[in-house]
Order: sequence, then structure tokens, then C-alpha cells
Amino acid sequence: MDYDNMMLDGESLGPTVKISAADSTHVDFELTNVDLSFANSLRRVIQAEVPTIAIDLVEVEVNTSVLADEFVAHRLGLIPLDSREIDQLNYTRDCDCENSCGKCTVQLTLHAKCTSDEVMKVYARDLIVGIDRPNNHIGNPVITDPDGLGSLICKLRKGQEIKLNCIAKKGIAKEHAKWSPTAAVGFEYDPHNKLHHLDLWYETDAATEWPKSKYADWEEPPAEGEPFDFNAVPSRFYFEVEGAGNIEPDAIIQEGIKELQKKLAGLIHGLGENDGMNGDYDGPRSPDAMDGGVGWQDQGYTTPYGNAGNASAWGGGAATAYGTTPYGNSGGGW
Amino acid sequence: MAGKTRARAAEAEEVDQADITMEDAPPSAQKPGYSQEEGSAMQEDEGEENDVAGEEEEEEEEEEEEEEPQRVRILPGSTETAASFEFLKEGHTLGNALRYIIMKNPGVEFCAYTIPHPSEDKMNLRIQTYDTTTATAALAKGLQDIEDLCDVVADEFWTQRDKFNAAQNK
Ligand SMILES: [Zn+2]
Repeated sequence: MDYDNMMLDGESLGPTVKISAADSTHVDFELTNVDLSFANSLRRVIQAEVPTIAIDLVEVEVNTSVLADEFVAHRLGLIPLDSREIDQLNYTRDCDCENSCGKCTVQLTLHAKCTSDEVMKVYARDLIVGIDRPNNHIGNPVITDPDGLGSLICKLRKGQEIKLNCIAKKGIAKEHAKWSPTAAVGFEYDPHNKLHHLDLWYETDAATEWPKSKYADWEEPPAEGEPFDFNAVPSRFYFEVEGAGNIEPDAIIQEGIKELQKKLAGLIHGLGENDGMNGDYDGPRSPDAMDGGVGWQDQGYTTPYGNAGNASAWGGGAATAYGTTPYGNSGGGW
Repeated sequence: MAGKTRARAAEAEEVDQADITMEDAPPSAQKPGYSQEEGSAMQEDEGEENDVAGEEEEEEEEEEEEEEPQRVRILPGSTETAASFEFLKEGHTLGNALRYIIMKNPGVEFCAYTIPHPSEDKMNLRIQTYDTTTATAALAKGLQDIEDLCDVVADEFWTQRDKFNAAQNK
């Protein structure tokens, strides 16, 4: 453990990362010296906004299995598909093609028929991946079990057949959980609850009834009779990222940060062309363009909707220090 | 199944088309440009204003073909040092981090964010600054600061990952 070195090192005030465990599906790390809001943004973005590929459209030709078409289609959607180097794939909505093409989709076909007396199991490995795709691994079903089977799709009895064509597309988990790169993300801070962000329920004693987190050993427990520090903020965050198999866990973090930066870059770009940053806008909705001759442009506290000062458009005199809100009704709503 | 799914995709496109024209959207959701065209400013000098409005309309159409629609706008009632911004398609992921980092700016007196209604994909951000800066400048700086922070964290994560892997393979 070299935490002590780090803590003593006065220069290391910037964000630091310490990886405590990692394998092909997990990465556990500690992120320090960032704010809770940023750490949470990172968690949210890796859970919901890292793009992956998943089956999105299913054309069923034959389905005489016991499962309904929709049921099978749903199961197919949830199969993790290799999403490494997803940058090489377009979102279908951004693609130049009419409906779908090799630059924005991967085709997978499945054809299975049971002819023996035994129940036949159809697995993800039975999916045949089309060749028209950006590289030769994207869209492959993720198979990690020792037998090389992959996820079970359905079972067939003698005479039953399933034949379908799937179109896999790029997407994010905010739209549908099937596009999630993560199976779970652990997020934890302040294992001793020194900040009182939690109000632990207990019968007689919270300390004995609530098991300690494994990270409790990593931080000093509160001293006996230590007064509550109401200025304290959390600064050490413990992440436990478990990937779904479609992207390596370390790449999930990297892609997450990249997505966050794309968001920011897009907004910075939008701001830049809008008004040149210093409030001297000739763009839409500038206060001057809205000015109807009423003296609303006093301190930004009143509405432009034809009434000045404290009286809201709805009659009642707003009595808060802020007069009326920019939303067109009295300041009471704040 | 296939027929059903395809039908759904087509529907979504239609909705998108409707969104572009915004004919039945409430005034609050309409493109700022519209209110400007109809705005009272026009009445003061009709001829000139009409020309300006016409040009702007053309520009906007061109923009829409190439780029995504404007995602930040300043809400009415704002001044240089006290402004409310409306972000489309943003939420807590950006809102809270942005709020924090803007409050870190010594020129900023107040910053807060809200999601006014859960069924509208919008996030509002209020910034009030001292006279040393403006609300838009503070917003731009905040966005840039998070981007820089992301760079630092990404670099740090990758170095630590390489170190960890090297130690594992020893
Ligand atoms: Zn395409």
C-alpha cells in the first residue's frame, strides 16, 4: 500500500487514480481529488452514454418455437456483441444510406431446426455474422464460457424451426439497456459515513448492525467524540465497474470520458457560433430583440411578457427579493 | 415482428419531421428565431426588419441541413451578468458538474441548475456573476474547465492502468 506516500506528497493535489483490481470483465479503482459532481458524471456517462452495438431489428421468416417472435427478438437484443472500435461504425441516423448499410449496421442471421428427439438448444454462437462491416470483429456475439456457446437464445423440440435475420445497430443505454457496456457500476465514498450523507436506520446501534464496506479500512475511522465537520466534502470515490463483455472495462472508462468531452465540445462549439462569448449577442432570443418597450430589462429578474417590475403576468404581486422569474409567473415558484 | 418494428421506425421519422417545422409546438418550445420574426421590434422599422428576418431564416435552414440544431439558448429576461440558459438533451450528467465548476469561478456570484419538468429533455442553468465577467463567459469557461479536467482524469487513468498491467505481468 502506497497510499501513505500519496497522502504525504503535497504536490499530488490534482485528480489521482489508483487501480486495485482488474480482469477481463472488471476494473476496481479509486478516484481522488475530484468533486462528487464530477465523479457522478463519470459514473452516469459510463453507465448510460457509451455507445455499443446490439441487435435492433429482427425479421422473422420462420418461428415455430414455443417463444413468440417478440420474445425471441427481445432476447436477441440483449446478447452482447463485440463493440470494440465502435468509432468505425456510424449511427444509422447519421449515415448517408437510405435504411441501413455496412457502415452503420451489422447483419446477423440465425437458422436452426430440431430434427432429433432431444431438445435442441440454440446459442449465440449459432448466429452467422455478415461480412459487410467496418472490421472483422465488430458485431461478433461475445462468447466467454469455456464451451464456447454464448448466450442461450431458445430451445427447440423435434420439428420446430427458427429462421431469422437480425440488424444490429449502434446505440446507447439511455435509449435501451441492451446497449449498456456495463453490467453494474459500483460507486461509493465516505465508508465511515463521516459526512452524514446517509442516515442509517438501526434497532439499537447502527455501528454493529451495518456491516462495514471493504473500503472502510482504506480511510481513517472517525475519532472518539470527533465533532461533525460540516464543511467537509467527499474526495475519494471507489468505482467497481463490471463490463457486459462487449467492451473491455478499461476502455469503458476511456470511452466514457470521451463521450463527456464530446458533449462539452459540442456545446462549446454551439456557444461560439451563437454569440462570441461576451454577451453581445445578435443571435436569437437576445434581450434586445425581445424588448417590447417595457422596462423589463432592469436586472434580469422580470419577465419580458409585457409587465414591468414585480407584478407577474397573472396578476398577483410577487413579493420575493427576485421579483418575477424569467419563466413568466410569480417568483413564489422558486 | 419485422413489419411492426419497421412501422415504428417510420413513425419516429415522421415525428422528427414534425419537430423541424415546429408548427404545433408550444411557443416556449419553438425555435427562438420565430419569436424574433413576430417580435415587436419589427414594427418599428418594418422594411428593414423584414429583410433581416428573411436572411436569418435562410441561414437557419442552411445550418439545419449540416449541423444539429442549437442546443443552448439564453432564456428571455437575462442580462449580461445574470442569465438563464436552456440546454436541450442534457440532464444531471452535465448539469451538476457544470454547476460545481462554474461556482468555482471567482467571478461568479451564483450558479444553479434544474430540470424543470421530467418529461421534457431540458436542463436550465442560472448564472449570476460579478462585474468582472459575464454569464456567457462564465458558462464557456465552465465547459472548457470540465473538458480540461476530463483530459487530466483520462490521462491519469490510462497511466495507472498501464502501470497496473505492467505490475501484473511481472
Ligand atoms: Zn448506413
